[in-house]
Amino acid sequence: MALGRHICFAKSSACLSSPSLSFLSTAAHFLQPPNLFFSHKSVKSPLAMLARVSHVARFPGFRRCERSLLHSIRCNASSSAPQTSEKPESKNSRNPRVSEGGRRKKSAEVDSTSSREDIRTLRLKKVEDLRAGGFEPYGYTWDRTHTAAELQKQYVDLPSATEANEEKDHVAVAGRIIARRVFGKLAFLTMRDDSGDIQLYCEKAKLTDEAFDQLKTLMDIGDFIGAKGTMKRTEKGELSVLVGELSILTKSLLPLPDKWHGLTDVEKRYRQRYVDMIMNPDVATVFRDRAKIISEIRRHMESLGYLEIETPVLQGEAGGADARPFVTHHNALGQDMYLRIATELHLKRMVVGGFERVYEIGRIFRNEGISTRHNPEFTSIELYQAYADYDDMMNLAEEIVEKCALTVNGSLSLTYQGTEISLQRPWKRASMHSLVEEVTGINFASFGDDIEAAKNAAVSFFAGHIERHDTGTILKAPSIGHLVNEVFEMVVEKTLIQPTFVMDHPVEISPLAKPHRSKPGLVERFELFVYGREMANAFSELTDPIEQRSRFEAQVRTHNAAMAAAAEAAKAKGDTALTSAINDAYEVGMDEDFVTALEYGMPPTAGMGIGIDRLVMLLTDSASIRDVIAFPVMKSQ
Amino acid sequence: MGGATDDGASAVMEGGPEPMSKNALKKLEKAKKAAEEKRAKEEVKKAAAAAAPKKAVKAQQAEDDEDMDPTQYRNNRLRALGEQKEKMKNPYPHKFHTSISIPDYIKEFGSLADGDHLEDKAVSVAGRVMSKRASGGKLMFYDLHADGLKIQVIAQSNYASVSEEDFAKTHASVKRGDIVGINGFPGKSKKGELSIFVKSIELLSYCLHMLPKTYAKGGKDHAEKSLEKKLSEVAIDSEDNKVAEQWHPGASRNLDRYVLKDQETRYRQRYLDLMLNSDIRNVFKTRSQVIRYVRRFLDDRDFVEVETPMMNMIAGGAAAKPFKTHHNDLNMDLFMRIAPELYLKELIVGGLDRVYEIGKQFRNEGIDLTHNPEFTTCEFYWAYADYDDLMRVTEEMLSGMVKEITGGYKIQYHSNGLDQPAIEIDFTPPFRRIDMIKGLEEYSEGKIKLPESLELLESPEVNKYLIEACEKFDVKCPPPQTTTRLLDKLVGHFIEEQCVNPTFIMHHPQIMSPLAKWHRSIPGLTERFELFVNKHEVCNAYTELNDPVVQRERFADQVKDREKGDDEAMAIDENFCIALEYGLPPTAGWGMGIDRFTMMLTDSQNIKEVLLFPAMKPHEDVIEPPVRAADDVAS
Repeated sequence: MALGRHICFAKSSACLSSPSLSFLSTAAHFLQPPNLFFSHKSVKSPLAMLARVSHVARFPGFRRCERSLLHSIRCNASSSAPQTSEKPESKNSRNPRVSEGGRRKKSAEVDSTSSREDIRTLRLKKVEDLRAGGFEPYGYTWDRTHTAAELQKQYVDLPSATEANEEKDHVAVAGRIIARRVFGKLAFLTMRDDSGDIQLYCEKAKLTDEAFDQLKTLMDIGDFIGAKGTMKRTEKGELSVLVGELSILTKSLLPLPDKWHGLTDVEKRYRQRYVDMIMNPDVATVFRDRAKIISEIRRHMESLGYLEIETPVLQGEAGGADARPFVTHHNALGQDMYLRIATELHLKRMVVGGFERVYEIGRIFRNEGISTRHNPEFTSIELYQAYADYDDMMNLAEEIVEKCALTVNGSLSLTYQGTEISLQRPWKRASMHSLVEEVTGINFASFGDDIEAAKNAAVSFFAGHIERHDTGTILKAPSIGHLVNEVFEMVVEKTLIQPTFVMDHPVEISPLAKPHRSKPGLVERFELFVYGREMANAFSELTDPIEQRSRFEAQVRTHNAAMAAAAEAAKAKGDTALTSAINDAYEVGMDEDFVTALEYGMPPTAGMGIGIDRLVMLLTDSASIRDVIAFPVMKSQ
Repeated sequence: MGGATDDGASAVMEGGPEPMSKNALKKLEKAKKAAEEKRAKEEVKKAAAAAAPKKAVKAQQAEDDEDMDPTQYRNNRLRALGEQKEKMKNPYPHKFHTSISIPDYIKEFGSLADGDHLEDKAVSVAGRVMSKRASGGKLMFYDLHADGLKIQVIAQSNYASVSEEDFAKTHASVKRGDIVGINGFPGKSKKGELSIFVKSIELLSYCLHMLPKTYAKGGKDHAEKSLEKKLSEVAIDSEDNKVAEQWHPGASRNLDRYVLKDQETRYRQRYLDLMLNSDIRNVFKTRSQVIRYVRRFLDDRDFVEVETPMMNMIAGGAAAKPFKTHHNDLNMDLFMRIAPELYLKELIVGGLDRVYEIGKQFRNEGIDLTHNPEFTTCEFYWAYADYDDLMRVTEEMLSGMVKEITGGYKIQYHSNGLDQPAIEIDFTPPFRRIDMIKGLEEYSEGKIKLPESLELLESPEVNKYLIEACEKFDVKCPPPQTTTRLLDKLVGHFIEEQCVNPTFIMHHPQIMSPLAKWHRSIPGLTERFELFVNKHEVCNAYTELNDPVVQRERFADQVKDREKGDDEAMAIDENFCIALEYGLPPTAGWGMGIDRFTMMLTDSQNIKEVLLFPAMKPHEDVIEPPVRAADDVAS
C-alpha cells in the first residue's frame, strides 16, 4: 500500500501523511475559482436523479438494470463534465431528462476528435498537477475489503436514512467512477467494480474543504478510485459508502463515450472491447458465462475420467478436416508450417497410445471469411473415447449441453434471438437421407450409383421450388454423397431449429468415420443442429488403416479435381480471376504418420467435436460470434 | 500354440510373479544373478528347441516369429486382415461393450485369494496385448494393458465357449500389440496374479507392426529380457498391477530403463512411447495435473478464465520473433501471439478485475532443450494488487502444487544430466529473494558496481562499463550490446546460477522491463520479479505499468533498441496505449511457463519430454517402423 502517495482526502489524521498535506497546499494553487464551475443548482432535484439510480443499484447483478444504468451514465457523463471544465459549452444544460435530445448532440461533439484531444490535454494537466502536489495519479495497490455486490448483499436490510458505522462497518472499495454529481457540500459518485455498482456519498463535512474541492477539480468520470468509509442508506433508499477517505488510483485520460450504443460504427464495439465492457456490463456477463460453460464442460469430462491434453497448433500437415489452413514459416527449421484446422488426428494418436479417454479444448484456425458465425480462430472441444460408438456420443452431447445450459441459465428452455428452444431430452434423431426426403420427397438412396439421375431429380426439385437456389453446386457434386449433402445444406439445415441429431452421412463426405454397421454407403456419424446451425460433429471413428488410406486418397482426388475445376472456370474469366483462384487454392495432404499410427491398432473409438463459440452464442442469446469472442478478428482499418 | 520356439512360454513358467520384497536393491542384485543363470538355461533350451522338430500345430505360423523381418511381419498381418474382409467379417468391430475398466477391475477383484475363481461373475474388459505366452495348445497367457495398468489373461480351452480347434485358431490370430476385448470371469492364479479367465476373446484392432522389443533375438537379448522383467518387477507391487516400475511425479526418472529408447522415435511416434514406456503416461498426466491445479487455484480466487486472440496485427506483450501468416479473405498479414499480456490488460481496463488465460504462445526461434516454437503459459492479472501480493501468491501456488502432486515439497531432478546424480529442489515456502542490482554486486564479490543513482543506467558510461565487465568475466554478449542485454547476460552469469531452489530475482531496471511499473521508492528500478528454479526462469511478474504517457515513452525506448539492431525489443502497440488512456486500475500481472514447470516435476531435461508432439525437424520419408529403433537399442 502506498496510500501516502495517493490523493488522500481523509479527515482522519492517519491518512494525512506529510505528502498529502504538502499536496493539499500545493495543489490548492491549481484550483480554479469555484464560480467558474458549473453549479448544479439548475438541476431540478438531485434526489430525483438518485432515485432513478437507486432501484437498479440495489441489485448486485447487472443483467436486469443495463438500460437504466446506461441512462444514468449518459446523463451524468454530460452533466458532470462542466465541473471539470471539459465541456464549457454545455454549461446551460438542464435536467437531463428534459433535454436529452439536445444533450445527444452535445455528446457527439465530445466524441469528435478535437474535443477528445482537448479533454485529454486537460486531464494530462491534472496528472501533472497531482504529481506536482506529490501524489501519484497511478497508484500501486488498494486493499479492498468488499466488492460492490458484497456490500449490496451484506447491507440489504439496512433501512433507509440509516447509517451503519460500527467497527465492522468500516469498508474499503475500489472501482471506476461511472457517474458523478456534485452539489455545494455534497457529492455523489457511482462507482463500478467487477461485481456491480455502489454509490459513494461524499459529504464536505466528512472531508476537508480542500479535499472536497479536489474531488471537484481533479476527479473525472472514468477514473479509478479507492474509497474508505462506513455504510449508509440514503433517504431515497440508495445504499452508499459514506466516504471518509478517497484516493485516485488511476487517472483516466480519455472520456468515456456517452452514447456508446448509438455509435454508427458498430465495429468499434469489437475493436475497443474494453470500452464496450465499461459501458455495457452485459458484455462482461457473456464472457463470464463463457468461462462458466467451458469450466462446466471440463468438470463434466473429468468426472467421466477424461484426460485433457494439448496437441500442436503448428503442424507440418493440416489434417482432420477439409479447410484452407493458415500457412506460416518457421525460420530456424526453414520449414513452412500450417496452423491446425482440427485436433482430431493427434488426439486419435493418443488413443492409440493408450489414453482411452482424452479431450482437448483449444483454438482452431481456418483461413476463411468472417461472418456472424465464423471467426478465423475459434474454440472447440474434441473428445475421444475408446470402446464407445456414436450412440454413446449422442448421449454425451445431450449431457454436456444440458449441464452447460443449467449452469448459465438454470433452465433447459431458452430463447435464442426470439425463438423458443427446448433442450429437454431426448433430442430428435433422424438420418440425413430421411430428412432430405422429408423436405424434397426424393429418396436419394434409390439412385444407386446413377449420379446423373440423382442430379436431375435434385434440379427438378429446385426448379419447382418457390425459393431460388443456385443449383451450380449440385451440378458440380462429384458423388451422390456430396449431392445429398448439398441438398441437405440448402434446404434442410435451416429447418432444424430444435436440437436434432442428423445421422448416418454418406461415406464420401466423411473420410474419418467408420462405415455404418448395417447401412452400406453410409457412415456412423452425426451432426447436432440447433437453430439451423451445426453445433457438434461426431462419429464412430474409422480404425481400419487400409480403408483410412484409401479414404484420404479419395479425398485428395476429389479436392484436387475441385481445385482444378475452379481454376479452369477462372481461366475462362480472365487472368485476374485465375490469379485469385490460384491464390485461393490450397492443398489437402495425406497424414501418413496418422495412418501409420492406425496400423499399430486403435481400439473401437467414438469421437466428437463441439464448437464452443456457437454453444456460448446459443446459451447467452448472442446473435454473432463476435459477441462471444472478446477480440474478434476485424478487417484492418 | 506351445511351440518350443516361443520364448514367452518359458518366461512365464520360470519368471512368473513372485512375492515382492520391499528392498529394491537386494532384489535387483538377485534379479541380475537370476538373469545370468537363466540366460545359460535358456540358451540350452533354445538349442534344444531348434533341434527338435516343430509341432504341427496349424495355428503355429511363421508370423509368430519375433525374429521375422518387419516388412514380412506386416505383410503377413495385412494378409490375415484381408482374409477377414474377404470372409465379410469386419476386422474392426464397431463396438465392444466393456463392463468394467481395468483399474476398477483391479480395485474390485484385487483382494481375491490366490487360486480363487469367480466363475459366475461375467465381466468384459478390453485393452492391448503386451505379451503373449503359450503353455501347450490349450493354455494361453496374455498381459492386457489399459489405463496404465495390466491384468493377466488366462485362456484355457476348457473354459472357452468354442471348440479346441477354434480355440487354437483364435488365439493364434492374436498378436502382441493387438487390441482385444475379452468376456470371461475374474480369478487369481495360484501364484496370486489377478487374472481374467477367458470365455471368449474378440480381436478389436490389429497391430500390423511388430512392437519393438529389447530382446528380439540372440542369447544375450534373452538375458536382457529376463533382466528387464526382473527389473520391472522389483518396483512392482504385485497388488496394484502397475505395468512396470512405478515412477511418480517429483521422483527422478531413469530413461535408460525404457523399452523404447530412441529419442526420435519416442517424439515422432509418441503413441509408441506411451505404449512401451510406462512412465510416459504419468508424465503427461502430471502435466495435466499442473494445469488443473493452476486453474483450480485461480478459479477458487474468483479469477475468470478468458481467451484472447492467437493471431494479431501486432505481436506485442513480449520481446520475441513472431510467426507471420496471412489471411486470404481479408488480405491481411497476421502474427501469432508471443504473449497474451496486452489483451488481458485490456480486459482489466474493461472491468474484469481478475482474469487469466492458459494457452499457447508462439515464438519463431530455434529449438533447443528449453525452447519449442509453441509453448503453454498461464498469465493472470489482478486489479488492486501489486508485486508483493504476487510473490506471496506465487509461493502459495507453487509450493501447494508441488505438495499436492508429488506428496512433499522436495523433488528430485537430474540438473546436471542423466549421468550425474539427481539433485534435490526444495519448494518449501518462503522462497529466497535476491535484489537484482545488489545481487549483481554481491555475487560478483563487489567487482560489478552500478551507479548509486540507478536512473543513470541508461548513460553511455554505464554501457561502456558493462561491456568491459562482460569482457572481464568472459560473459558472452553478442551484439547489439545494449545495456539491457549486457545486464541480462551478467545477471544470468552471476545470479541465476545461484538459483537452484526457487528464488525471486527482483527489482529489474526500468530499461529491462518496458511493461512494469517503476518502483514506488527506488528510482530507476521496477516492481518486478522473476522466479528462477534450477537456474531457469519459471515466472515473470510485476506491478503493471498503467501510466499511458510513461508506457509510450518506454515503447519509444524499445524502438530505439530495435534501431540498434535488437530485433527482440518490443514493438509499440498503439491500441494498447489508447486502452491505458481509458484507465487501467492498479494491477499486478503474472506469467508462468507451464512446460518448464512440468519439466521440473517430471525430471525432464528436454522440453520435448513434456510435449506430446514436440516440433521436430522435417523428415523426408514416412516413419520407419520402429523395429529398427529397437535394433539400435539392442545393438
